[in-house]
Amino acid sequence: MGIKVLLIAFIGFGGGITVGSGLVALITVLGIVPRLMQLSKTYSFIRSYELSIIFGAVIGGWMNLRNASLAFPALILVPIGLLAGIFVGMLAAALTEVLNVLPILAKRVGFGEKIIFILMAIVLGKITGSLFHWMYYINH
Amino acid sequence: MDKSIYLRMRQRVQVLQHQKVTIGDVAQIVASDENERLVKGYIIHEVTPEDKHLIVIDVMRVFGTIQRKNLGVDIQTVGPAQTILEIQMKQKTMAPVYFVLVWLLLFTGSALAIMNFHEDVSMQLVHQKIYYMITGHFKEQPLLLQVPYSFGLGLGMILFFNHIFRKRLNEEPSPLEVEMFNYQQDLDQYVIVHENKETEKKINGN
Repeated sequence: MGIKVLLIAFIGFGGGITVGSGLVALITVLGIVPRLMQLSKTYSFIRSYELSIIFGAVIGGWMNLRNASLAFPALILVPIGLLAGIFVGMLAAALTEVLNVLPILAKRVGFGEKIIFILMAIVLGKITGSLFHWMYYINH
Repeated sequence: MDKSIYLRMRQRVQVLQHQKVTIGDVAQIVASDENERLVKGYIIHEVTPEDKHLIVIDVMRVFGTIQRKNLGVDIQTVGPAQTILEIQMKQKTMAPVYFVLVWLLLFTGSALAIMNFHEDVSMQLVHQKIYYMITGHFKEQPLLLQVPYSFGLGLGMILFFNHIFRKRLNEEPSPLEVEMFNYQQDLDQYVIVHENKETEKKINGN
């Protein structure tokens, strides 16, 4: 019995370490935190940002696994949804950037100066696609 | 000292068809007034239609041109060893149809990509779960969360590339501009090696 518990705990702990470092590695590679610090000129708060990522991951993971729930009014989901969206949007933008899609595309189709149009096409496409998915696609 | 010429090749120069390109066009020169005026005026290349789009002028060709004039000067170079001449074609005006097509392609493509992503990571389940975690109730379609999420998605991309708040937030180059610059540098490097016949020597003499 004791050995079983120990083994399970060990496996869980090991899995947690792997997933946790994987998450940090992903965020680091995509460079979202440096970009946010650059935008807001808050390089000195890097430690707090690390903590916020860790707390977010631990609390989110814990509540998810324990099926815990709070009792806030539903309206608080609006800012949460917006923040979640911004994060995923930055993730998508960073991914596009890593793959070097936009510079090559802009050069190939010959509107290097008007890269903002390319960007807007992708941004509006993302918003429309997402809205379409939640409001129509899911129900059919 | 009077006999020294200091020369620095420019990185990229835009030229026109049939233009007579002078040394002054491809390089910055510092020398005694007389020599500077002379050297800057020497023609190093005349652009012909056979040149296609890009020409690489090596610093050795500049040496050769100056040497042949027998000025008896001593040339010192600083910086890059070649200049890329970019021949400006007549500006093709992009057909609006073409533009609209590309735009629609990107629009549809990214809409599809985000839907695939949501399906892939079971985003609907995650959103239902978040709704439950925060409010304590289950809801099949938590639109209150999902609509702001969708707009945040676009906002996040714009923020990352910082195209709209440029003036207000800060003036550092955005990742996209850095990426464009790097890509251009890579292209230049490729052109320098491959368009410059002097840098490669092959066995069969081609």
